[in-house]
Amino acid sequence: MRQRLRQGRDRLATALITAGGIGVIAAVMGIAVFLVVEVVPLFWPAEPTGIRLEALWLPQDVAGLDAPAYRWQPSLADDSGPLFSLPPLVWGTLEAAAWSLVIAVPLALGAAAHSALFMSRRLRARLRPTLELMEALPGVVIGFVAGLALAPWLERHLGLALALLLLLPTGLLLAGGLWRQLPARLQRRLPLGWAALWLMPWLVLTWGLAHWLGPRLETLWFGGDLRAWLEVTLGLDYANRNAVIVGMAMGFAVVPSIYALAEDALSGVPRSLAEGAQALGATRWQTLWRVMLPAASPGVLSAVMIGAGRAVGETMIVLMASGNTALMTANPLDGLRSMAASIAIELPEAAPGGTHYRLLLLAALLLFAFTFLVNTLAEVVRTRLHRRYRRLGGPS
Amino acid sequence: MRGWHRKTGRARLPRGEGPWAWLSAGSVSLSLLLLALLLGLLASRGLGHFWPGDVALVTLQDGRQLAGREVREQPLPDGSGHERLYRTGNRDLDGEIWDWVALAAIREVSHPPELLVLERRRWSEFIGRLVALEPEAGPRLEGEAAWSALTDRLAELEAGREAIRELRERTILPLVRRLEREGKSAEATRALAAAEARVAELRASLGGARLVLESVSGERLIQSLDEIVRARRPNAMSGLDKLVAWGERVWRFLSEGPRVGNVEDGVWPAIFGTILMVLLMSVVVTPFGVLAAVYLNEVAHQGRLTRLVRIGVRNLAGVPSIVYGVFGLGVFVYGIGGRLDQWFFEASLPSPTFGTGGLLWASLTLALLTLPVVIVATEEGLARIPHRQREGALALGATRLEMLSRVVLPMAMPAMLTGMILAVARAAGEVAPLMLVGVAKLAPQVPLDGDFPYLHLERKFMHLGYHIFDAAFHGNDVQAALPIAYGTALLLVLVILVLNLTAIFLRHHLRSRHGTLSSY
Repeated sequence: MRQRLRQGRDRLATALITAGGIGVIAAVMGIAVFLVVEVVPLFWPAEPTGIRLEALWLPQDVAGLDAPAYRWQPSLADDSGPLFSLPPLVWGTLEAAAWSLVIAVPLALGAAAHSALFMSRRLRARLRPTLELMEALPGVVIGFVAGLALAPWLERHLGLALALLLLLPTGLLLAGGLWRQLPARLQRRLPLGWAALWLMPWLVLTWGLAHWLGPRLETLWFGGDLRAWLEVTLGLDYANRNAVIVGMAMGFAVVPSIYALAEDALSGVPRSLAEGAQALGATRWQTLWRVMLPAASPGVLSAVMIGAGRAVGETMIVLMASGNTALMTANPLDGLRSMAASIAIELPEAAPGGTHYRLLLLAALLLFAFTFLVNTLAEVVRTRLHRRYRRLGGPS
Repeated sequence: MRGWHRKTGRARLPRGEGPWAWLSAGSVSLSLLLLALLLGLLASRGLGHFWPGDVALVTLQDGRQLAGREVREQPLPDGSGHERLYRTGNRDLDGEIWDWVALAAIREVSHPPELLVLERRRWSEFIGRLVALEPEAGPRLEGEAAWSALTDRLAELEAGREAIRELRERTILPLVRRLEREGKSAEATRALAAAEARVAELRASLGGARLVLESVSGERLIQSLDEIVRARRPNAMSGLDKLVAWGERVWRFLSEGPRVGNVEDGVWPAIFGTILMVLLMSVVVTPFGVLAAVYLNEVAHQGRLTRLVRIGVRNLAGVPSIVYGVFGLGVFVYGIGGRLDQWFFEASLPSPTFGTGGLLWASLTLALLTLPVVIVATEEGLARIPHRQREGALALGATRLEMLSRVVLPMAMPAMLTGMILAVARAAGEVAPLMLVGVAKLAPQVPLDGDFPYLHLERKFMHLGYHIFDAAFHGNDVQAALPIAYGTALLLVLVILVLNLTAIFLRHHLRSRHGTLSSY
C-alpha cells in the first residue's frame, strides 16, 4: 500500500515537473510567437492602414525636399503625416554595432591571445573574474559616462585623442624594444607574463606624452583646431554625441564577452599542437598565428558573433550616447538612432494596434531574429569546435 | 621574430617575441586601465559631491564679488587662457546657480571663515553671509551670536520635524485608516482632532523666526527659518568636522527621498523600488527556472529535441533586453492587464489599474528575461553531480521524486543560488525593459505601505538605473543633476559588483566541492 502511494506520488511529481518545464520553456519561446502574431497584420491588414509597404524600405517623397529620401519621423507636427522608413534605423543599428566591434575586437582578441600565450597562470586566474565584473557593469552606467563625461571630453580634446591613437601602439612597441635592451636581471623582475600589469604605468606615461603632444600636433597639421579642420576640409559635421562615442562605450561593454569566448577557444586548443610547433622552433607568437589560430578560428569567430549580437541589441548605451538622430550618413562623427533606442523611446507613446506600434514591434522582431540566429550559429560552431579538439588532441 | 634572427655566439632560445606580444599585452592593460578609470571616475565624482568643500570668495578685476565652490576649469573657446566654473547657488537671487569666470579676470581669491552655506527646501543652496537672526520674540541677534543661535535653532527644528513625522505616522495615519474602514466613531474623531492640534502647535513653534541674509554682491534676503535644512560654514570647519558632515550627507543620500526635481538629496525610493522589484522577480524566477532545468536535465528524454531546446534556451540569454520589454508591454500590460481591468476594475476605467506599467509587470518581465540565466546555471550544477549518486539512490529503492528531492537538489543548491544571484545582478542593472513596463520618474507613493493590501503591485516605482537616465538626460539643469547621477551610478555599480562577487565566490566554492566529490 505504502509502496503504491510512493509510486503514485512519484508519477504525479514527474508529470508536474514535465508540465511545468514544458510550460516555462513554452512561455520563453512565446516571445517569438507574440512578435510574429503582432507584426503579421502589418503585411495583411484587415482594413487599409494608409501606408504603402514599399515605403518602409524605399525612399519616400518628403515635403520640402526635391528628391525622395529616407526619413523616420513617427510623430510629425505638420499635416504631411508621419514618415516611416526603416533604413535609417537599421543603418544606425548596424553602424553602432560596427564601430563597437572596431574598438572591441582588437582589444578583446589581443587580450585573449596574450592571456592564452604569455600570461602567468596566477594573473590569468585573477583576470577572468575581473573581466566578468566588467561585463556585469550595467549599460545605463556606461551610457551615462559615455554621454556626459566622454562625449564632452572628446569634443574638447580631439587633438589629444588623435595623438593617443598614434602614440599607444608606438609606445607599446617602444616598451618592447626597451625591454629587450634591459639587463637580464631586470628582465626577470619584469617578466612578460606580468606585462599586463607593469605596462599600466607605461600607458599612463604615454597618456601624459599625448597630452603634451596633442595640441602641438593640432597646431602643426590642422591649423590649431582639428574640429574646424574636419568640418572645412573633409566636410564632416561633428555632433556632440556621435557614432564613435557609441562605438567606444559599447566596445568597452562587449570586450569582456568576446574575450571570454575567444580565450576559451584559444586555450582549448590541444597542448600537443602548440608544444609540437614550439619544439620545432617556432616562437610563441608564430605558434599562435600559424597553429593555434587556424585550429581555433571557428571559436574566435563565434566569439565575435556573440559580441556583434550583444552590440546590436544594447539599448541604454546607444540611447544615452548617440544623440538619437535618425540619419543615414557614413560620417562616424554624426549622430545615429538605433532600432532598440527607437523602441525604448517611442513604444510607450505609440497607440497599441496602430501602424507605428506594429512597426516598432517589427523592429523588435528583427532584433530578436538577428540575435537569436547569430547566437545559435555561434553555439553550433562552438559545439563543432569542441568535437574537433577532442579528435585532434585525444583525451587531454 | 627579431630575436630569432639575432645570432649571438651560441644558439639560444629566442627571448624576444616580436611586436605582437607587446601589442597584445597592451590591450589587456588598456582594458584594465579603462575599467579602473571608469570606476575611479564614478567613485570620485559620486562621493566627492558630498564633501563640504571650501567656499571661495572671488573678487574680479572690475570689483564684482562672487562666492561659490570651484567645479572645474577648461580652456576658453578662443584659446586665450582658461575659465573656471563656480557653483554659486542663490537661484532665487541670480536665477542661475553657475558662474563662469575667466581666470584672467580674477583679482583675488580668499576663503573667509564667515561665509555661510544654507541648504534649503526650495530653491537651491544659499551662499553668502548671515546678517541677523530675528526670533519670534526677543531681541534681534547679530554676528557670532546669530550664528550660534542659528545652529541651536536648527537642532530644535530637526527635533520638531522628527516629532511631527512620528506623530503623523504613528497616530494620524492609523486613525484616518480606521475612520475610513469603520465609519465615524466619536472617539477616533476626537483623537484625530487632538493629534492634529498637536501637529499644528508643533509646527507653529518651529516657524516664525527669520534670517536676514546678504549675498556677497550685497543683495539682502529675508529667509524664514523653517525652510532651512542645514547651515554650515565650510571654511571654518576642521577636517574632522567635514568628514562628519560628509558622512551625514552620504547617509541622507541613501535614506531620504529626492528634492528639487530629482537633483538634490536622496535616492531612497529608488533603492527601495529596485530592491522590491528584484525580490519579487527572484521569487518568481527561481522556482520556475529550477523546474525547467530539472525537467531538461533529469526528466526529459535526452534526444535531439531536448538538445535543440537547450540551445534555444541558452540563446535566449543573448536576446536584447528591450525585446523582453516589448513582450512585457504587449502581453502583460496591454494583454493581461487590460483584460484584468475589464473584469475587476471596471469602475475606474478608462484610467487603467493593471493596464499600465507597474511593479508586477516589471517583475514578471525581468523574471522572463533572467529565466535563461537561472536555467543555465542550475543545469550546469545538475550536470556536475556524478551519475553514481543518482544510481546509488535509485538502487537503494528511492523513487525518482525521492532521488531528486533528497539527493540531487540538495547537492545542486549552490548552483541554484549562483543562478539566482546572477539573475538578480542582471536584473538590477537592466533599465531598457523597465522603461516600457512600469518605471516612473518620480513615484510619490512607495509600492509597500501600511494600507491594505500592503503590497501595491499595480503601482509604478522608482529604479536606480532609470534615476540615472532621468536625472542626467531629462532635467532642466544637467550640470546640477550630474553629482546625484554619479552618486546613483556608483551605488548601482557597487550593488551589482557585490552581487557578482558573491556569485563568483559561490561558483568557486561549488567547483572545489564537486571537484573533490567526483574524484573518488
